[in-house]
Amino acid sequence: MAAVQGAQSRGGHSLIVGSLVFVAALGVLPMLVRGEYVLFLCTQIGIYYLIALGLNLLSGYGGQISLGHGALVAIGAYAVAISMVDYKLSFWLAAPLALALTAGAGALMALPAFRLSTWYFALVTLGFANVVGGLLTEWRGLTHGFAGVVGIPKPALFGHVLTQGELYWLMLATCLGAFLVVRNLVASRFGRALLGLHEHAVLVQGVGASLVRLKMQAFVISAVLAGLAGAFMAVHKTVITPDDFPTDLSTFFLLVIVLGGMGRLHGALIGTLVFFIVPELLAALHDWRLLIYGTALLLLILFAPGGLAGGLESLARRLGRGGTAAADEPSGSPELQRIDGAALKVQSVSKHFGGVSALSDVTLELAPGTVHAIVGPNGSGKTTLLNLISGYYPLNGGSISIGGRDVAGLSASHIARIGVRRTFQTPKLIAELDVLENVMLGAYSDETRSLAAIGLGLPGARREARERTAEAMRYLQFVGLHKRAHDPAGEVPHGQQRLVEIARALVGRPSLLMLDEPAAGLSLSELDGLATLVNEIAKLGTTVVIVEHHLELVANLCRSVTVLEGGRILASGTPAAVFNDEKVMAAYMGKRAIAAGGEPT
Amino acid sequence: MDVSIVFNGLVAGCLYALAGISMNMLYRPTNTFNFAQGDLIMIAAMTCAALLGVTKLPWYLAAVLAIVLAAAISFVEYFVAIAPMIRRRHGVGWIISTLSVSLILQDIVGKAFGPDPRKVDPPPPFTTDLQTLGPLEFNSYQVLVLVFTGLMVAVTGWFYTRRTGKAVNAIAEDREAALLRGIDPNRLAWMSFLIGGVAAGVIGILAAPMLYASTGLGPLLVIKGFEVVAVGGVGSNRGALIAGCVLGVVEAVSGATLSPGYQNAATFAVVLAILLVRPAGVFGTATARAV
Amino acid sequence: MTDANGRAPLLAVSGLTCGYGHVGVLEDVSIEVAERQIVTVLGGNGAGKSTMLKAISGLLPVTGGTIRFAGEDITNRKPAQIVGRGLLHVAEGRRLFRAQSVMSNLELGLYGAGLARAEEKRRLDEVLAMFPMLAERPAIAAGSLSGGQQQMLAIAQALLRTPRLLMLDEPSLGLAPVIVDQVMDVIVRLRAQGCAIVLVEQLVERALEVADVAYVLRNGRIIGSGRAAELHDSELIRHAYLGV
Repeated sequence: MAAVQGAQSRGGHSLIVGSLVFVAALGVLPMLVRGEYVLFLCTQIGIYYLIALGLNLLSGYGGQISLGHGALVAIGAYAVAISMVDYKLSFWLAAPLALALTAGAGALMALPAFRLSTWYFALVTLGFANVVGGLLTEWRGLTHGFAGVVGIPKPALFGHVLTQGELYWLMLATCLGAFLVVRNLVASRFGRALLGLHEHAVLVQGVGASLVRLKMQAFVISAVLAGLAGAFMAVHKTVITPDDFPTDLSTFFLLVIVLGGMGRLHGALIGTLVFFIVPELLAALHDWRLLIYGTALLLLILFAPGGLAGGLESLARRLGRGGTAAADEPSGSPELQRIDGAALKVQSVSKHFGGVSALSDVTLELAPGTVHAIVGPNGSGKTTLLNLISGYYPLNGGSISIGGRDVAGLSASHIARIGVRRTFQTPKLIAELDVLENVMLGAYSDETRSLAAIGLGLPGARREARERTAEAMRYLQFVGLHKRAHDPAGEVPHGQQRLVEIARALVGRPSLLMLDEPAAGLSLSELDGLATLVNEIAKLGTTVVIVEHHLELVANLCRSVTVLEGGRILASGTPAAVFNDEKVMAAYMGKRAIAAGGEPT
Repeated sequence: MDVSIVFNGLVAGCLYALAGISMNMLYRPTNTFNFAQGDLIMIAAMTCAALLGVTKLPWYLAAVLAIVLAAAISFVEYFVAIAPMIRRRHGVGWIISTLSVSLILQDIVGKAFGPDPRKVDPPPPFTTDLQTLGPLEFNSYQVLVLVFTGLMVAVTGWFYTRRTGKAVNAIAEDREAALLRGIDPNRLAWMSFLIGGVAAGVIGILAAPMLYASTGLGPLLVIKGFEVVAVGGVGSNRGALIAGCVLGVVEAVSGATLSPGYQNAATFAVVLAILLVRPAGVFGTATARAV
Repeated sequence: MTDANGRAPLLAVSGLTCGYGHVGVLEDVSIEVAERQIVTVLGGNGAGKSTMLKAISGLLPVTGGTIRFAGEDITNRKPAQIVGRGLLHVAEGRRLFRAQSVMSNLELGLYGAGLARAEEKRRLDEVLAMFPMLAERPAIAAGSLSGGQQQMLAIAQALLRTPRLLMLDEPSLGLAPVIVDQVMDVIVRLRAQGCAIVLVEQLVERALEVADVAYVLRNGRIIGSGRAAELHDSELIRHAYLGV
């Protein structure tokens, strides 16, 4: 994605012109060819493209491997066929009906995805496809059984029945529209969160996204696309039978997107085209298609998991190296809004895992807008406390209130939405996105435009996107990384990944910011930079909690420090008081001499 | 209710349980589910049927050859489709790689043997000749299946009390910790795949007289095997046995009133409901995490 | 590269470069451990201490440098082979098989060692004599043991292989001070019995009390080393941990 964006900012014009030419060429096709076969084929390609587009969104971006998409297409196709043939509905009524049905089916399919692991879910979708396939044959009253539904008429517009050419144009327009909608969605907060769904669920919750809602949205959208394809399939083929939807139809589409490139914008298009052009030219291989599919899929997943689109992207990046630093050079320090810090009150909190007590009777009170450190040796419970405050674990005892509000029992994403942000011990950045996009993810819960507005590219949505991008750039500038805005996040060195995380957290304008061991792995100069940065953040007004291992580092930054040991508070107070406390020295450096009553060395 | 129908269902259920057990055997050392497992079972069945039909080989020789073939394919599959994925810590790439192996196997078998189901005789001296015991009609083959399944569960249970079995469990629990103790996960994994392949072979030959050797057997067993494993709890063979028996009986009883398509739908709905309520399955252990 | 007695060191890590992702990348790290020596490796979080141990025990691939143990090059060998040579690594957080019993965990410590039954029994008895609390309840799940008992079990597992060199990664993690005392006592006893130890620790003073030699890691590089007694309260330590 980063490469595509880079290309758009560099040679964006040539890409857009090229795309327009491509689409125009497709548009004039019916006028150039004689004979209907080519048009028939191209409409077929369009249908398959829609399915691949939807599956790529769900399985490529969202990581939910579905082996049941063929069943959704079947539902869409049969819905249109039955309503047009048996109930004499016009296409323009039958199609929306089909879409509603497949959307419902997609929502149903989403339910297991919330509770089950990925491979369980894949097998459940396989079972689902199996069941639908069986019902297609057996529910004769509805589906006409083996014989299928025949004589599906072409759609009619104001009395004029569409010709093959006109159907093709309708298909083309639909594909184009679907692509643009998906492109808009993928480039928005939805796409960013979706990419994090599989490997960084914790992060996605931490920016205020509801995992359930996200998954449901991905499922429904991809199901609607499949249903749309099915609707066109019915009027395109005029006859649909259960044989059109074998169980390996879904595996076929999985192969299409793996070949094209899972989670890549153009993966669906590339995959579909290659799949079609190649076999059609080698029609004799049709009988061997399962073997070819299987072998191709195996080789791809072993040696080229990024597919063709992935290969092209890395090629483009390599060729375009040196041109991506075209990000605008902002001057001076950015104007950032003040934030209202929240008070944090942790009261007698305890937490145990199994029989092991991680935290016992921990009490903490922070005034709004102050900087506080929680320190202690490894295993003392610092990160557990952080996880409790941000809502990833339920409390076993005590209470926590943020900004005067009791947060017991609230989900992590809910707590994030009320203005809590954090960074993680090991930086969690989404490797498929560039630095700027990672930072923009932090604003997830603040964005207000609906998915529909984003998908359709409405002016309000576009304006918000521009504002968010500018804002993210300002925070990147604040942490000093604006030059790396368009670099892939995976290539940024460790110390800077930390800073990206901080920028991401700040974009959400948190009233409570928690940094988990931000100093780990930083060089001396980076540590200086961190200290300065924390000071600047404090000036913005947000309440800051730093979990750290080193006492002295936080001494200058914090108004108060809490020392944990073995899940209990060892000492609490100003850095000077805590720093000179003998108990703390003993715990930290393990001075056995003190415990035995001897002189500290 | 006709006792024979229930009994039939029980036998079919045992075959499903066996499929599930063979999947558990491969799951433990690798934490992967072999999508091609059903096809392995099918290949053994088809090969045996073909050998018996075309050549004059004695039953046991044909069976052994079929089993050896299944074991060999399973062994190769480990190195080609599983090991690379584990090595790369590729989240779920193995779903796609084992799926592709399944496609390849299905196509080859379909080309080699054709689409028609083949009949296979049970191992002599067992037969499908009906015998009666009160209201129950059964044959010696069915008894063989029941006994064999019980034996499998017992043997696998015993295996996991041995040190090698414990090592396999150790790998399943914490692969790196196992490495630190001198356990070689790779070796145990391919050994499991080899033995799992043998098991798949035996199951195929045992299942063929009842479920028929055909290319459809593979996909059927993957779904049934998964249902059994999911409901019983992945990794639990006792759970697989109970789940299989329940599944088989429910299927047989509902088969009297429902046609296969609806039967499938009903069973699927029940399995799904169980999974949504208890994602780890009825006897699931902590190792079956739900994301 | 010989020690004071003219012998080659038991473990010689030379120019080691490795790492995963961005955290804990090691660059040109060299350390030496002589027989019957306790060497401690100190450094803050993210310095690369665990990475170094994992590189030595074969869990992480090494991209540069060599590791020699008892005269043999073990760079990038498989972990099982390194265990077989007598180099054991007790990882951070114990990493026991929590679902299995104490006895099973011990048995697994002997997996693949290829010993006769009698020898196995002898070693088990020896180890249980050293850690009597483990013999009390052999059938309970390892996960139910207290932190200190788990640490002892992890060390016991390693001892079953009669290691020549034992590497311990933060054995004091999550343990109460009095238990840490016990663990340190065990380490000292092991040295007396002929085992060399590499001790990665966070509790600087405790580590320096038991160690002979200390190395200090910072950001993947060795920034200093010396006799443990000389390094108490030194600038080097403060620099490594606190960056000041």
